[in-house]
Order: sequence, then C-alpha cells, then structure tokens
Amino acid sequence: MTIRKALWLLGFMAMGLASAQPKVVSGYENGKPGGTLTMALSSAPQTMFYYGAIDSAIQTLANQMFDGLIEYNYKTYQIEPALAASWTITGESKVYTFKLRKGVKWSDGRDLTADDVVFTYTQIVANPEAKGGDAGNFAGVKIEKVDAGTVRFTLPKPAPAFIHYMRLPIMPKHKLLPFSQEGGKKPGDINNAWPTNVDPNEVVGTGPFKLQSYTPGQKVTLVKNPNYWKRDANGTPLPYLDRLEFLIIPDSQAQVAQFLAGNLGQLNITGTDFPTLKQREVQGAPIKVVQFRALFGSPPHLAFNYDAKNPELAALFRKTEFRRAIQSAVNRKRIIDDVYNGLAELPGNGVAPVSEWYYDTTKLLGTYDLAAANAALDKLGLKKGADGIRLLPSGKPLEFTLTYGSNSSTFTAIATIIQNDLKAIGVKANLQGVLAANLLSTGRGKDWDAIILGFGDQPDPELRTPIWKPGGDLYYWHQSTQPTTPGGQPQFSNFLPWEKEIYDLWEKAASTTNFTQRKALYDRWQAIFAREAMVIMIAKPNAVGAVSTKYGNYIYSLGVIPGYNPVPIMYQK
Amino acid sequence: MWSFVFRRFLVAIPTLLLISVLIFGVIQLQPGGFLENMLDDPRVSRETVETIRKQYGLDQPVWVQYLNWLKRFAQGDFGYSFLNNRPVAGLIWERLGWTVFLAVLTILTTWVVAIPLGIYTALRRHGLGATVVNLIGYFGLATPDFLVALLLIFAVLSSGGTNVGGLFSPQYIDAPWSWEKFKDMLAHLWIPLIVIGLDGTASIMRQMRANMLDVLTQDYIRTARSKGLAERVVLWKHAVRNAINPLISIAGLSLPNLISSTIIASIVLNLPTIGPFLYQSLLDKDQYVVMALLMLSAILLMIGNLLADLALAWADPRIRYE
Repeated sequence: MTIRKALWLLGFMAMGLASAQPKVVSGYENGKPGGTLTMALSSAPQTMFYYGAIDSAIQTLANQMFDGLIEYNYKTYQIEPALAASWTITGESKVYTFKLRKGVKWSDGRDLTADDVVFTYTQIVANPEAKGGDAGNFAGVKIEKVDAGTVRFTLPKPAPAFIHYMRLPIMPKHKLLPFSQEGGKKPGDINNAWPTNVDPNEVVGTGPFKLQSYTPGQKVTLVKNPNYWKRDANGTPLPYLDRLEFLIIPDSQAQVAQFLAGNLGQLNITGTDFPTLKQREVQGAPIKVVQFRALFGSPPHLAFNYDAKNPELAALFRKTEFRRAIQSAVNRKRIIDDVYNGLAELPGNGVAPVSEWYYDTTKLLGTYDLAAANAALDKLGLKKGADGIRLLPSGKPLEFTLTYGSNSSTFTAIATIIQNDLKAIGVKANLQGVLAANLLSTGRGKDWDAIILGFGDQPDPELRTPIWKPGGDLYYWHQSTQPTTPGGQPQFSNFLPWEKEIYDLWEKAASTTNFTQRKALYDRWQAIFAREAMVIMIAKPNAVGAVSTKYGNYIYSLGVIPGYNPVPIMYQK
Repeated sequence: MWSFVFRRFLVAIPTLLLISVLIFGVIQLQPGGFLENMLDDPRVSRETVETIRKQYGLDQPVWVQYLNWLKRFAQGDFGYSFLNNRPVAGLIWERLGWTVFLAVLTILTTWVVAIPLGIYTALRRHGLGATVVNLIGYFGLATPDFLVALLLIFAVLSSGGTNVGGLFSPQYIDAPWSWEKFKDMLAHLWIPLIVIGLDGTASIMRQMRANMLDVLTQDYIRTARSKGLAERVVLWKHAVRNAINPLISIAGLSLPNLISSTIIASIVLNLPTIGPFLYQSLLDKDQYVVMALLMLSAILLMIGNLLADLALAWADPRIRYE
C-alpha cells in the first residue's frame, strides 16, 4: 500500500468515526471474533414481527435483531443509552427529547432516522390492534420528529416509568410501511407483517444479529450484523459471534439432553435441573453452571379469593389475621431448599430483592411457626372438629380448593408442601391441578378459592400497576374492586381500608417523578402489602443457567426482557 | 364397486359434520386461551385483548363462529391461525413433509418386521427364539413410547453419543442435502423408528401370531397337507393369506396416525412433525388449527377405512361389494 493510499484510507476512517457514535462496552473480557452459539427455544416463533404476537420465541429472537432507544446495564439494571445517544426530560417531566445515535445503520445498509422511531411508536406501538403493541401506555402521547436525528414525546401527564417504555424495539419504516395505516392499510393489518415464511432479507433490524433462515418447527439461524453499533474496549466491533442458532425444543428434558450432548452451547434451566447439571460439572464435564440473583422472573405467590363463591370463606379470606396465620404455616425455607434446591431467596413483595425499589419486608413475612398459626386460627374462633379439621362459624369444615399448575414440577411440589402444613393446622386444602398455561385465566375467573400463581417482576413497580394497584386488570384476588365497565373507575365501595391506602399511594406515585419521593411511596406500599399479607409471597427463584466452557463473558439472560441482551459480548474461546 | 365407494362417500358427509360439531364444542369448553395469557405481559391491556377478540370474530356467538368456519371449510379454506397470523393450510403444509416421511417409514418398518416375526413365532411357538421375541413384544406393548424414548436418550448420552433427538445434528438442519446430511439423518433416525414403531410392531406381531395359530389348526390346512402340497405352498398360499385379512383393517385404521399419534414421543424426541404443533395449538386454544388438524385426522380415518375395505375385497375373493 502506498503512503498516499494509506493516508486516504485514514482520512475516510476519520470521517467515518466523526459521524458515527459507536457505544463502547467495557468492563468485560476482550473476546475474539468468530464462532457460533446454539441455544434453545421452547416453542416455534409465531411470527418474525415483534409486535405481531405476544410470544416468548419472537421476543427472544427480536432481542438479538432489534434495539430500543434505551437499554439496561448488564450488572446494575440501570437505564443506559442504546439507539438514543442521549435524552432530556423537560416541561414538568412531560417532554422527552431523544437524540439518536449517529451512524446507526439498518442491517440492509440504510440509515436509522427519526422517521423510523416516529413510525414505530405512532403506527405500531400506539396501534390498539397490534397484538404486541402497547397502546394503553401511549394514549394521548404526542410523538414527533424534530429533525432527522431527534424525536420528541409529549405526555398528557407526567409518567415516571415512561422512560422504560423506550426499550421497545425500533422497526424499519422502509420495510413495514406497506402494512401500516400510513401505508393505507387497516389497523389490524400490521399483525400480518413478517409472517414466519417471510423472505429473511425483509427482516431488517439494528440489532447485533440478523435473520438468515427459519426451518419451520426446527431451527432459526441468525448471522452477525456487520453494521452493529457497539464496540468492545479495544474497539473491536461487536458482536464477537458470527452465528446464533436457535433449536426449537419444546421439552425441557430434551433441552437438557441436547445440552449435555454438546448440541447446545447455553441453556436457561430451573432449580430442578440444577443437581444433575452441577454434578456433571463437578465430574469434569466441559460445562459451567451459574446462578444469578434475578431482577426479572416470576416469584410464585399464594392468593386467596376475597370474593370466593362460598360467602363464609370469602369473609374469612378477607381477614388479614387469617392470611397471616396461613403465612405462618408456609414453610418458605423448606420450599427454597427442597423445591428450588437452594437456588432461591426470600421474596420481596411485588419487587425483586435485587431491585433498587426493594423495601426489606423480611421481618413482615414472618417465620414458619405452626404453633403460632394454630393460636391465630383459634383466636379467630375456628375450633377444631372431631377429625382435626377446623370448623367455620356455620359448623361446616374449613375446606377449600387450592389450584396450582399441574404441569409445572415447581408448582406441584409447592402445592403439596403447603397442603401438608395446612393440614397440620386443621385447614383442609383440596389440590386442583390445571395446566400452568391456564392458571392466569383460572385466577381471573370466579371458580377458585386459593391459587398458586406467579407474575413477572419488572425494573420499575409502575410497570406492574395492573397487578398491584387495587382494582387493576390483574388484581384478580379481589375482583369486586375492579371496574364494572372496561376503563371505568374501580368499585371503591368494595375496597378494604388498607386497599384504599395502597390505591392512594399508587395514584400519587404515578404522578410523582422524583425518585426519592417515589421510592418512599412504593416502600410504604410494600410494607402494607407484607403487613396485610395481601397475597402470600413464597420465594424468589434465582436465575440459573448452564453454559459450555467454550464460551466466555457469559451473563445469564432470561432472553425475553427487551433491552437486556448480553449476547453481543459473548465469545467463543 | 364404484357404487359402493359412492355410497361410502355419502355416509361420510353427515359423519364428518357430526365430528366437526363435536370438536368445535369441545374446544369451546376448554378453559382459558391465548388471549387471557397475553395479559401477563406488561404491554397488554384489557382493551387490547377485547380489540383482538373482535378482530378474530371471537366476540360472536359460538354457532355463528361454527357456521362461518363450516362455510369456509367446505370451500377448502382451513381458516386462520390466531397465533401465527397465517392461514392454517400453509402451517400444516410446512410440517407435513417430515410427518408423512416418518409415519410412512415407521408403518413400513413395523409391517416388514412384524409380519414375518408373527409367522415365525406362530410356527415355532415353543422354541427359544419365539419366546425371546415374544418377551420383547410384551415389553414393547407394556412400555409407553415416551419412556422408551427417554431410556434410549439416556443410553446414547451415557455412551458419549450426541444424537439425542431431532432428525439432524444442528448444523445440518438448514443445510442443503448432501451425503453427509443423509448419513447424519440415518444416525438420528433409528431412535424415532424404535420409539414410534415398537408398540405397533409388537401388537401387529401378536395379532399375526394369533391369527396364524388360528388358521393353522383349520381343516383346510390339514386337507392341503394331506393332499401332498409342499409345506411352502401350504404356509404362504393357504395359511398366511387367510391369517393376514384382519390385519388389513388394522392398516386402514392406522392412517390417521399420520397426524395424531406419537404426539408425546415427538415432543420428547423433538421431531419436526405435526404432533407437537397440534399439542401446542390445543394448549393455546388456536381453534382453527385444531379444527383443521382433527378434521384432517377424521377424513384420513375414513379414507383409510375405505381403502382397507377395498383391499380386503381384492385380497379375499369371498368379499364382494355389490
């Protein structure tokens, strides 16, 4: 190469650098480029379009193919810039202005612009007919392009958790316009974009990988996106890996077998699989089993139906003393040791213990003490009958159904342990197994007395308003608080005094933007939640993953959290 | 004979109608469904769910939904998959190839192995070989296929093998066909063949054995022997041909297995067949996919029965359809 040529080249590179703003990820080992990682999907993707379905498979894939404006730090879960290089919040916390990262290109080489962001939010996210959209949280939000690199969101009222919604993946306008209302279609037609038999070249993203092929029901192959906007500390472009393969394996035992056979490089497992895999690791198999305290993931809880069909039971279930008595009979330690093989911790109340929002409710959770539980039930006037079962005031035995997910080994074991301990305090729980997939719909129905269910934790309590705010869509244990018409006011007359208190706290928190003030409000809520044993939180499982020792920089990711994707820094040794 | 075929077709129509009403009804009775489960995602609100319910016409009365489905089905439109946003036909078609391949291969293997073994165990009913084969047969009948699958996977893993499910190693799944890919498939194929085929082989073998034993004691066999026919002719022309008749009916009934059998084995072995797809659709209450697959299964059963009847007439001169 002549000096002149080299100079020209340097000049071009300098120009390229001046206009591009790659994000540097430091604090991890510097890997080497190349290699393939094979992972498992538990079900076949229903679509290749993130907003076209609520489907864990496409969420996992989309995490690798698309980015949001913001993302979460791998270690601290703090919000960091992603496609947006910076942002400001002004106008009484109602105006969010995002400066887009310069030089970001779609995988087909086109530039990412403000038009794509505006298109994504106005035409897809705020579209009430998009199956995976989020119209509810964008009602009344004005979204506009300021210039090619700036987007502004104007909210009708302050929404403190709004920044988290910016983790939603940005879609390419130049590919999706024909499916949108702007492109002359009906609102529902957006769901038809990128079906599973789409030409892979149409699925264009900004993420670390892009779609190469899908073999129906068997495998999805992604390849490195050469235009990706992250670098490591040495300036090496990320991702390191050349290919990402996902095998579709519905059965978790089959996944473990494929992992042990070396056909999978990494696997998300549960505490139940842990002993087998850990034993292999100790015996010298080339694998590593790791666990992390998890922010995300669903801690199970035991809920009682405040509106149970039997009015006597309903009256009892509404009593805090009763729920707290039952809580004393829930052997959390045994569940953590036996069911989760020790890979779980005491639960938070609606907030994961690793979260910055966590308020330490451990003391309020009480301890396992059958004598105390017995005494508390005696005090409620529930005398034991001849057969050892307590009697309700009407003289009928204290007996109810306990619904659980029968195809989940975790839930089955928890249900059995609870049933046994309840028997010891003279409470008869009849187990009723339903498919884990139908638990939520059972809970939201009327035919249950007690149920074991889990809701996913999120980085900000505000994101879980429908669950924890009395009268919310998912406040299923006290359905008589829910509005009679969709979108209406909750039925305040049916609120218990402490529910009103919680409701007011959430109302206030929703319009407060100062972190410290919000934290104080949510702390108070967690304390009331625990004190009243609103539902009885059981345990917070750790995230457990297994990885082949061939790979470095492994960080467990559940794979379904938008904005949390540690795969780009993984490398093959 | 053609009038017989025609009459069978006429009978099939009301039967299929009845089956479709039944399936549709049962699907509606199933609790839950994919819409309710969407609510767990923080993106989804009550309103979104209602909008989607309307989009799919699920807010209409059940009988309207059924009639709409029937109208389209009669025109050859299998409907739309809620979950996949795609017509059902394409989804089935994508998975049909491997399903038919596996089913045909296992059925063939089953018969090729089971019939001779049945004859052998009947002829040497007290021999050591027959006893061993019978024992394996009992084992095959008594063990659920998914357990056999798990045991085989465990055996392969323990011996250091890597072919523990699926039809290919990961790198060959989306590779173009080559000699290596074919060899890789053969290395995987034996597990599903044993798992899916063992049960059928054992039961057909037992059937064939019983039929043979029955036939061998008949008078016409003794007559054939006494008039000096070669043992080979007695066996194949007189005994086997009579003994195999009942099995032809069984063969006809095995046609719907193409779709609905081996669901659990396919899930455990991770086979790319329709079985797991049907299972998932049932769980998610993706009703038109379930309807299409179960109706297809019913139609195959009827076609299989008809074919079996025709084959019987061809194989047995005593049976004639007028």
